[in-house]
Amino acid sequence: MNDTDILAIAAHLHVLLRRKTGRVTDTEWMACNAEYAQEIVRFARERAQADQLPELAEWAQRLEQAVRQVAGISVVQPLLHTPEVQAGTTASPPAPPRYVGGIR
Amino acid sequence: MQTKRYKAGGLMMVSVLALGLLLAWMPASAQGGGAPVRPTLVGQDTLHDADTVWVMVSTVLVLLMALPGLALFYAGMVRRKNVLNTLASVLGITSVVSLLWFVVGYSWAFTPGEPWLGGNARMWFAGLDYQIGTGLVAVSHVAPYIPESVFAMFQLAFAIITATLVVGALVERMRFSALLLFMSLWTVLVYAPIAHWVWEPGGWLARMGALDFAGGAVVHINAGVAGLVCAWFLGPRKGYGREAFEPYNLGWTMVGASLLWVGWFGFNAGSALSAGGRAGLALTVTHIAAASGAVAWMLGEAVVRGRGSLLGLCSGLVAGLVAITPAAGFVTPAAALLIGGVAGLACYWGATGLKRLLRTDDSLDVFGVHGIGGIVGALLTGVLADKSIGGVDGSLWTQLLSVLAVVGYSLVGTALLLWITRLVVVDLRVDVQDELTGLDIALHRERLGS
Repeated sequence: MNDTDILAIAAHLHVLLRRKTGRVTDTEWMACNAEYAQEIVRFARERAQADQLPELAEWAQRLEQAVRQVAGISVVQPLLHTPEVQAGTTASPPAPPRYVGGIR
Repeated sequence: MQTKRYKAGGLMMVSVLALGLLLAWMPASAQGGGAPVRPTLVGQDTLHDADTVWVMVSTVLVLLMALPGLALFYAGMVRRKNVLNTLASVLGITSVVSLLWFVVGYSWAFTPGEPWLGGNARMWFAGLDYQIGTGLVAVSHVAPYIPESVFAMFQLAFAIITATLVVGALVERMRFSALLLFMSLWTVLVYAPIAHWVWEPGGWLARMGALDFAGGAVVHINAGVAGLVCAWFLGPRKGYGREAFEPYNLGWTMVGASLLWVGWFGFNAGSALSAGGRAGLALTVTHIAAASGAVAWMLGEAVVRGRGSLLGLCSGLVAGLVAITPAAGFVTPAAALLIGGVAGLACYWGATGLKRLLRTDDSLDVFGVHGIGGIVGALLTGVLADKSIGGVDGSLWTQLLSVLAVVGYSLVGTALLLWITRLVVVDLRVDVQDELTGLDIALHRERLGS
């Protein structure tokens, strides 16, 4: 997991939060500061649960995994699971982010 | 900053007017070396009414491609904060190019002159007469059975769509005044000469036998290369390659693509300049190539990414339409299937793999779709042209030469004109803060409704 991958995930989460909740975040800070990222993950999960937004929860999970991988910390499963995680399957690696470096 | 913008806008308007006036008063000796002006007055009874009606309808269809077709197609793909600027760019260019075509563009493109450039006889649409008393009407030697006014307007719609295509490469970061000035100069000094080379019988590529039925080279390769140069000259948008640039509404893009598909019947079948069998065949191959391009792009996406997308279907149909454009009056329906399919895959690569190789923020893939699609179509026309349809055989080498000539002239001409524009307007790009705010607010003080 390199910086570009984390930034791409952070950018995707930024867009989702802006669109779904109106919350504005700092993409670059989210990608490099674990504490800020964890707060955004917490917020995203809270809203995902409250507003029934599984996509938001999924991307929060991806960001948490990415940040923890970089920090060398083992991934802890969140309390709020996506249906895939609830079924006991391992989360798939993040798909290439859409609309980064090209629209098609 | 405001003062600088007003100054730039004023300079642009003065420049355009000065160009028009200068050309209008040029001495006769400079007008095509005294070559005879071939468009003439003929009796109205020699015109073909059905042909006239078809080309008038085609003119409307081609204009529909730009307004609102291309405007919606592009506006749906940019971020919400730049939607209105994108729409304004298409509408502004349409207006400015229309005036310049009337002043000078048509004359330089479609009157006899030198092999490189037409004459000045039709400036300000001079001589496009309709005389009810004598029963005479002006016709162009390129289209002798329809009024020249109709032919000039049909070609005007082509000039508009070509210039507006370039917008896709430079959205979200170019100053509006710089855009209008650049596209004005580009239409007169790049588009009109190339149209003359290929479509006026005295043009040097036309004399060599280059085949370009409706504008594969003149319109699409030309616009694609110009777009790529613009994107390189302007530099990437802030955050390009790091942030997701979420499109505002791909539904708009689908509506725009559909209007392009419908309008393209006028573009290709109208280029027959008659309502006969050749127009009918051009219409048929146009539809088949569009469908083939859409399916091929979708299959390409399915293989590479495991799923098709709406934007992929829209892009693929445009790729197929682009590639069939130079071939429409020369090939069979089976050949159209092949051309569309090859173009769908080639343009998918152009908008993804090639784009990464070029490392240029050609924002909406003008080169990837129009440049690559145009090159594929032009070359395959040389291979697949059927003499029983168009009366001529294709030559791959002649087609290759015409592609290289258009690529080279468009590349150099566009770079030169951007440099000149930068001298006049000071800076081609908006300020960083304006770019972050969005061009709708920053440049137009307007906002998209909720």
